[in-house]
Amino acid sequence: MIFHMITGRTVKQGEGVEKKLSADYKKETSACRMNPLDMMDLGLNEGNHIKIISDYGEVVMTAVEDKTLTAGMIFIAYGPYCNVITSHDTHGTGMPDYKSTPVRIEETDEDLKTVEELFRGMGGTSL
Amino acid sequence: MKITDVICPFCGCLCDDLTVTIENNRVTGVDNGCALAEAKFMHTGRLNNPIIKDGDRFRETGYDDAIGAAADILKDSERPLLFGWSGTQGEAQCSGVHLCELLGGVIDNTSSICHGPSILAIQEVGHPGCTLGQVKNRADLIIYWGCNPVEGHPRHMSRYTNYADGFFLENAFRERKLIVADVRKTESANLADEFIQIKPGGDYAVFSALRAIIRGKGDILPDYVAGVAKSQLERVAKMCLEAKFGAIFFGLGLTMTKNKYKNIRNAIELTDLLCRHTKFTITPMRGHWNVYGSNEVMTWLTGYPYGVDFSRGIAFYNPGETTAIDILAKKECDAMFVVASDPAAHMPKKCAEHMAEIPVIQIDPHINCTTLLSDVQLPVAVTGIETPGTAYRMDGIPLRTKKVIETVYPNDTEIIDKIYKKVLEVQKK
Repeated sequence: MIFHMITGRTVKQGEGVEKKLSADYKKETSACRMNPLDMMDLGLNEGNHIKIISDYGEVVMTAVEDKTLTAGMIFIAYGPYCNVITSHDTHGTGMPDYKSTPVRIEETDEDLKTVEELFRGMGGTSL
Repeated sequence: MKITDVICPFCGCLCDDLTVTIENNRVTGVDNGCALAEAKFMHTGRLNNPIIKDGDRFRETGYDDAIGAAADILKDSERPLLFGWSGTQGEAQCSGVHLCELLGGVIDNTSSICHGPSILAIQEVGHPGCTLGQVKNRADLIIYWGCNPVEGHPRHMSRYTNYADGFFLENAFRERKLIVADVRKTESANLADEFIQIKPGGDYAVFSALRAIIRGKGDILPDYVAGVAKSQLERVAKMCLEAKFGAIFFGLGLTMTKNKYKNIRNAIELTDLLCRHTKFTITPMRGHWNVYGSNEVMTWLTGYPYGVDFSRGIAFYNPGETTAIDILAKKECDAMFVVASDPAAHMPKKCAEHMAEIPVIQIDPHINCTTLLSDVQLPVAVTGIETPGTAYRMDGIPLRTKKVIETVYPNDTEIIDKIYKKVLEVQKK
């Protein structure tokens, strides 16, 4: 099943913008909010780890129930986790597809990476 | 000590009614602010000294050493990208443009990944806008489209729209109607008199449908447009036409989704059409507190609001080519200079991977995701808290942010000016 990923701001993400290596920021930006019926279809419970896969990469996140989302739509707060799977194509406008990247989701027993681990995987430096 | 009328340097609302309590040169309380303002003023963690990448770790260094290292990187670069600018004072933005011109680089601000598409639409069809004061005092219909002010701009409703008093409204709370259009039922949607739930990517079609109804051509519409019932669209059109003063606010739900700037063009044309019947305005919900300022500064200095390329010796602008995401994803730039933003946290992975491959200089008070991809970082004073500076509110009103506590750190402008002088020095040699 293909999901429509939208990313956006949340108050907790906003509170964490100057504390991006903190556990709170990781928790907020690595939460994948989903419609409860979609979670049921995929056999997921709140807090299960999921692998989200797009044409641009894959990342492990936590499934979180959100009844405001319609079936087939997921919401992730802006941050380094959703960027791993976001399309960089701007279609000649300068703006990538932050609210329209298609993704697949499967359950996983892999652990979530920390923000530092994510960037180490891209060639970043440890503090 | 309490300082009143403090301006919040977090989002584009630039709320100017905060009272900040200071004890022993530390902020110990924030009155009137939202959760975001409180987090901003109360946060004390920061990078204490300049750092330079040394092998696979960072080492602390002095400002002179870090400025020298930054100047060396920039002078050796053939196509530097200077990015960010939305979280600093207008004065630093001016210095940034001058530095970019000296280097023959590309300067882009964060609007290319927030309201850049809105600017493209405004360049096509104009901007029927107004100040937030006009909305507060006159508007009897508010429309939030593709935005969620409860989470993104928590005091927007209480200061400027549905929960604010209005000079020309007897009972603003009851007289003002609220329409919210979004793909999901957000907290803001829960407060609305009318919630329009649109299928993702369907905004353009819904704007077109509303325009057709207002022009008296509703008969041609199907029963549902992008998941919205025609009967609801007719109701919404009637509410708009009956309003004395309608104000549309839109967010990244229009700029980042399918159709991008064409969504906003259609929204502006709807506003224009409504103005033939009543009074209507439209305003983008700008995110970073001085991102509007970065557009103003770059426009008055270069003629263009963002994505300005000086490699030809004159200013050249072509979003999609001279914008940060495109330049990074195509691996065009060979050095990056980041000021007052965190592109590593907010750009797609492919861009972050290129940042890891090239030298990156960051000017920022805090340790953030870009720190992890940087070669040099210089900590600076926090503008609006530790140093004053000019900022533009989301409606284009310039305000002077205050300094509320003392600091030993230089501000962004001072650091950029020193790097400019150093680059000039090494170029002459």
